Amino acid sequence: MRIVIAEDAALFRAGLARLLEDEGHQVCAAVADGTALLAAADEHRPDVVIADIRMPPAYTDEGLRAAIELRRVHPGTAVLVLSQYIETVYAARLLSVSPSGVGYLLKDRVADVDEFTDAVTRVAAGGTALDPEVVRHLLAASRRAGQLDSLTARERDVLALMGEGRSNAGIANALVLTLGTVEKHVASIFAKLGLPASETDNRRVLAVLRYLRS
Amino acid sequence: MNGASLVRAVLRGPFTGRARREVAFCVLTLPFGVFIPLAGFFVTVDAGLLLGAGPPWVADGNPSGQAVAAAVGVAALLALLLVMTGAARGLTTACRELAGWLLGERVAAPAPLPGRGLAARLAGGLADGPGWRALAYLLLKLPVMLLELYAVAVFWGAGLANLTYPFWWQSFRNHSPGTQLSAVPVITPFDWLGQGQFTVTTFTGTFAAFAAGAGLVLAAPWVTRAVVAADRRLIRGLLSPGSSARRLADLERTRALAVDDAAARLRRLERDLHDGAQIRLATLAMNLGMAKKKLGDSGAVPDADAARELVDTALRGARDALGELRELARGIHPPVLDNGLPDALASVAASSAIPAQLACRLPDRPAPAIEAIAYFCAAELLANAAKHSAASTIEIDLSERAGRLMLTVADDGRGGADAAAGSGLAGLAERAAVVDGSLTITSPPGGPTRVTVEIPLHA
Repeated sequence: MRIVIAEDAALFRAGLARLLEDEGHQVCAAVADGTALLAAADEHRPDVVIADIRMPPAYTDEGLRAAIELRRVHPGTAVLVLSQYIETVYAARLLSVSPSGVGYLLKDRVADVDEFTDAVTRVAAGGTALDPEVVRHLLAASRRAGQLDSLTARERDVLALMGEGRSNAGIANALVLTLGTVEKHVASIFAKLGLPASETDNRRVLAVLRYLRS
Repeated sequence: MNGASLVRAVLRGPFTGRARREVAFCVLTLPFGVFIPLAGFFVTVDAGLLLGAGPPWVADGNPSGQAVAAAVGVAALLALLLVMTGAARGLTTACRELAGWLLGERVAAPAPLPGRGLAARLAGGLADGPGWRALAYLLLKLPVMLLELYAVAVFWGAGLANLTYPFWWQSFRNHSPGTQLSAVPVITPFDWLGQGQFTVTTFTGTFAAFAAGAGLVLAAPWVTRAVVAADRRLIRGLLSPGSSARRLADLERTRALAVDDAAARLRRLERDLHDGAQIRLATLAMNLGMAKKKLGDSGAVPDADAARELVDTALRGARDALGELRELARGIHPPVLDNGLPDALASVAASSAIPAQLACRLPDRPAPAIEAIAYFCAAELLANAAKHSAASTIEIDLSERAGRLMLTVADDGRGGADAAAGSGLAGLAERAAVVDGSLTITSPPGGPTRVTVEIPLHA
């Protein structure tokens, strides 16, 4: 895959570029702020953009704004934003613009190389990658409201992984289950929560998130 | 002041802007001295007549007790009314503003009366300290106003009039010889309409009038200044918010400073963590993750060299992160401060780029917050000196005087330090102000620089 990185901390930027290249991807450009990111995306037309949220000049959410702008200008470019903090509102903003081909992860996740490259690949393929922290927040709120009482503990695990944007195969892998068992759990969750069955992983994520946020 | 410059000052006196502004002040505020006695007089007399008690005086003897009681009662009522309606405050607002504009006597206005509406005003007005003080000013303004009037009318007015005598004498006193002409009076400030007056009858005599006028006009600015000084004192004392209100305003200001300072420090701390240790640790985790991948799941290592290099990088990252966290922790609270200020300052002095001598004479240990402020001030002042002063030695002196901690940092550098807003020195002054302290800088161009921080031993 062809990737553009935007990250203001030089060490992290260099490390990330090396990680992606070691995994066989091509890093077309590694820049340090939102404006440069938009320019680099225009120039290289990458498959994926990986952007830090907090960057110069104002150190607030310029990475997120650049990512949203990028999705508007080049809908074919997937965007994965990284941050040292998880803010549910940022996730909501990102998803509300375009539900597919976006991701939002804590920077810590980079430490698990396989998980991280899996998330990059998923986003590039038009899927979603939400940080487990975001999903955990949403699940906790729904649990407090009693919406998830009908689910078993296993089903809640599956629901969380669906919320992160994983496919059935990915869920089976993560929970060390067979694909068939996962499919059964998924069907049961959709039935219990009264969600419409969806074919694609993407629409499934949206349905789950919409349910959790309601 | 030597003789020549004294003469110059006296000769210039009448022509200065200050003299003009003081005269303008006397004239413009004259009505304020008249208002209260006039109002009091008419209201008392009218009320006395209305009540049938008659005026409080009678032509042929002592007033009746009833008349005096009525007069006193009505005067008290009038005073009450003036304060409770806020009229006294309103009247003095103009005086305060004229004093600020013409005399440069800038006095803060007292806080406005609490509450709106007549009922609230009447209730609050009775206990309204500034209102009563405003009334006191209006009463005391009468004698001051009379003095101001005297200065303006006699010294300036009569003085200027006397100066004109030689110029019109020839035009008006050219009657044929033998005509009996009355003498023309010349006013002097001594018993100015009676014995003190003198008269002139000849043209030569007019020069005596001119001399008297010149003397009066030369003296006028100083006399005016003296009486206006009395008025300034009254305005400062009676029309300002009062000492407790000023103290309150001071406390509010320094509390706002403390709150802002705390918020700014937390923001800086978050920023330092975010851009420093946190990202270093994230990078370190990433390098370890990559190294783990290079080491493979089990058995033979597919890429040992790369793994070793990544572990090396991770190790460096861990050391950097530790160093950064240590600096940050020290910035929040230096552990050496727990041993007391002398130890902490000795450590600051020892690490100073410019050789620093430390003298500590502190009988008791100050409060922890005070120690922290003194420590950070000393560290910042030393850093400032190292950056800007080009000094060869610095002296740090810590002592106690009358329950206050005095920290002096003096260098023999090039001077010119300035506490303009936004500089580090202004920040230190604000930190000191939070605990009712102060920061004094003497730093003439060419040096030396001496900064003294004075804060209470216990906040």
